[in-house]
Amino acid sequence: MKMTFRAALLGGLIILLGAAVAPTVMARKDLIYDPGPLKATDSLLKVRVGEQAPDFTLKSLSGKMVSLSDYRGKNTVVVSFIPAAWTPACSDQWPGYNIAQDVFRKHNAVILGISTDNIPTLHAWTSQMGGLWFPVLSDFWPHGEAAAKYGVLRSDGMADRTIIIVDKKGKIRYIALHNINKRPPLEEIIHELEKIR
Amino acid sequence: MRIPIIMAGMGMVALVLFSAASTLEARDDHLRALNALTLYAPEAAGDREYLGLDDEKEKISLGQIDAEILIVEIFSMYCPHCQKHAPDANKLFRVLDSRKDIRNKVKMIGIGVGNSRYEVGIFKDKYSSPFPMFDDRDSVALSTISGIYTPHYFALRIREGSIHEIVYSKSGAFPDAEAFLDMIVKESGIK
Repeated sequence: MKMTFRAALLGGLIILLGAAVAPTVMARKDLIYDPGPLKATDSLLKVRVGEQAPDFTLKSLSGKMVSLSDYRGKNTVVVSFIPAAWTPACSDQWPGYNIAQDVFRKHNAVILGISTDNIPTLHAWTSQMGGLWFPVLSDFWPHGEAAAKYGVLRSDGMADRTIIIVDKKGKIRYIALHNINKRPPLEEIIHELEKIR
Repeated sequence: MRIPIIMAGMGMVALVLFSAASTLEARDDHLRALNALTLYAPEAAGDREYLGLDDEKEKISLGQIDAEILIVEIFSMYCPHCQKHAPDANKLFRVLDSRKDIRNKVKMIGIGVGNSRYEVGIFKDKYSSPFPMFDDRDSVALSTISGIYTPHYFALRIREGSIHEIVYSKSGAFPDAEAFLDMIVKESGIK
């Protein structure tokens, strides 16, 4: 009787598995969570091109505290605010910058990647990308403080997808508040870096 | 005892049939999408010669490529799996190019889905990719080829200027370039 029940259970399970798994196999994309389309932007910029960039100090994945002002007089800084780890457009954005290191270096530029996620989450997320050459900073606590200084903190606690380019004197040279659902084209950033000598 | 065994058997059959039907449906959708696709052709003279393209054509459909079987790697410059797989993709092309018996019949391209020409150029430079790579600046491929993840490989049979059949379609990297090419050659029946 036990065997009969097990075999019946097995048969039922296989039927259910066939119905549930088959249609989703082709749509699998590793560990990425897709929240669906979100409001394109949900913040009000507090900074303008030509202004001095507000300084911030945040903890990096290495444990070191990193300030924007650390790069004053040394490098152009591309500040890349992204909304959330493990989401589709964000998970595509930084790996692209990762293979363009030579192009950023050619323009004496560094990237500071900032997210309001906490350090353990950012560690797990960037590790499965294979690591990143630029500092990844957590703006988790006080939550979104750096994003709020620039006016790119959304009402849901994430940062809007924003690129801010700061020159060696600490002046803002470029701001682009992008649609949260789309990845900004790399050439836009490089084109702006070319203008800064 | 017999009835549950029959139920288990029916379950297996249902699973196989359902999977096969889903695969066939996806292939039909992909065949339509790939035939409707027009892309900006690579500018390099060597690439254009390899693909047998008319000098004047800025945009082409895949069916216009001079090949009997076209291996297509769907990738993205932003995809870390594609970056990691790039040396193997390059090896596949080199193995194919070394096969004098089939290299004029079986050709290989990449399509950088949702990537601009600049972004595809960054990828091609970084990994010294030796095969032609198309960009997808208008995100047409990205929006019409559904239900796959990158890298994805298609092997397409081309006849009379259009894609006649999808010989092979699978998401994910392959472990061995030579075995992968042998499998494509076998599946396509090309000699």
